[in-house]
Amino acid sequence: MAIIVAVYVYPAFRGYERVGGKKVVVTRVRITHAGRQQVKDHLPEFTAPDCRHSAGHLWLEVLIVALAGAAFAFAANRISPRGLTLARNYFLVQINRPVAMPGTIAWSRDLTNSGSPVLSPVQLLTARLKEQGLQLLDGGQVKQLFQDPQFKIGNIVFVDARDEAHYHEGHIPGAYEFDPYYPEKYFTNVLPACQAARQIVVYCNGGDCDDSESAALTLRDVGIPVSELFIYGGGIPEWTTNGWPVEIGARNSGSLRRPNQ
Amino acid sequence: MNTKPIPLSRVADIFAVLARWLLGAAFLYLGLNKALHPVEFLKLIRQYDIVQDHLWLNSIAAALPWFEVFCGLLLLAGVAVRGTALMLILMLVPFTVLVFRRALAIKSATAIAFCAVKFDCGCGNGEVFICSKLTENIALIILAGWLLAGPGRKFCVRYSLMPSGATNRSME
Repeated sequence: MAIIVAVYVYPAFRGYERVGGKKVVVTRVRITHAGRQQVKDHLPEFTAPDCRHSAGHLWLEVLIVALAGAAFAFAANRISPRGLTLARNYFLVQINRPVAMPGTIAWSRDLTNSGSPVLSPVQLLTARLKEQGLQLLDGGQVKQLFQDPQFKIGNIVFVDARDEAHYHEGHIPGAYEFDPYYPEKYFTNVLPACQAARQIVVYCNGGDCDDSESAALTLRDVGIPVSELFIYGGGIPEWTTNGWPVEIGARNSGSLRRPNQ
Repeated sequence: MNTKPIPLSRVADIFAVLARWLLGAAFLYLGLNKALHPVEFLKLIRQYDIVQDHLWLNSIAAALPWFEVFCGLLLLAGVAVRGTALMLILMLVPFTVLVFRRALAIKSATAIAFCAVKFDCGCGNGEVFICSKLTENIALIILAGWLLAGPGRKFCVRYSLMPSGATNRSME
């Protein structure tokens, strides 16, 4: 027979205790000026759930949540306009060496146990690009190409490999928008320009950003000769730091800004 | 004037409901932040080097943010509360360990104080100092652990999915 025992804290885990081999049902009572008053006297309702909600039930509930959550998650990804394509390899560039610019923390897979000879970031980047058949340009070379008359007639093309928001915040004037993670969205505009050009300069955020390489390799994979693809390693941070003009909004919007040096 | 003291159990109930809503809102916010920028999240989790195969990597990056949103919604509505709380602990604990290990790696590579390590861990709130991130994660684990212990049943649509009758004392 159950014995009612007064407790003063909420019995979260157990609905009963075993005292001297007897099952002792725990319930709540409220102490008032009038004396002790039982709050819940419907014992099965109060005690049963906690007793019966066994570990097995809990794990079953976790499993249901996991399965329903996974179904929801993959469906949401499928519906979302920014959803990922599961079968696609988004990373054409294999980063396995630290490539860092001053002021940035390079994420690399062998951050702590790099046993290779110490190379400068530029040397590392150059070596990595060379493996892919790509060439690295510095700020001075890029500025020359930007001022070259060939740029005006489309023989030199700039490609911005950052996402849409960053592109619209400011890009090298005349650069084409080409987010390598959603290439099909941009091929219509970018491909004809790249096919007509003889030099294509691809850039992103500099430092450890490898989206420019991804963009260049994506363009290579759709038939643009790799000898025509160049990577501007400094990217937009170096361009703006040098005080060179940037274009705001869409390509050829005419809205130019010269960042303060 | 004769005022009745508020029972401790009532106070605990109120705090437990607030904890459930707080945890739910936190996961909804963090999950949506990641779900709306899946490519950024994909790049960040790639850095942890937990899986090599791109199909697995894409699946984690595509599903995890929305899964967090789902768990957040369950907690806000009060559906399968203990199961969801345990699920969150199962996600939070290993992820916190991964973040901790990553921070240790950055610390040893950059020779700066541990708490000065700042990076975007892919948690949904941009670059953060590691100590504040670990504190936040531990707080979330404690909240989830408390909900797992059983309180927070008020204002629940369906506290438990199991047909044990009285566990579903919804809208007490």
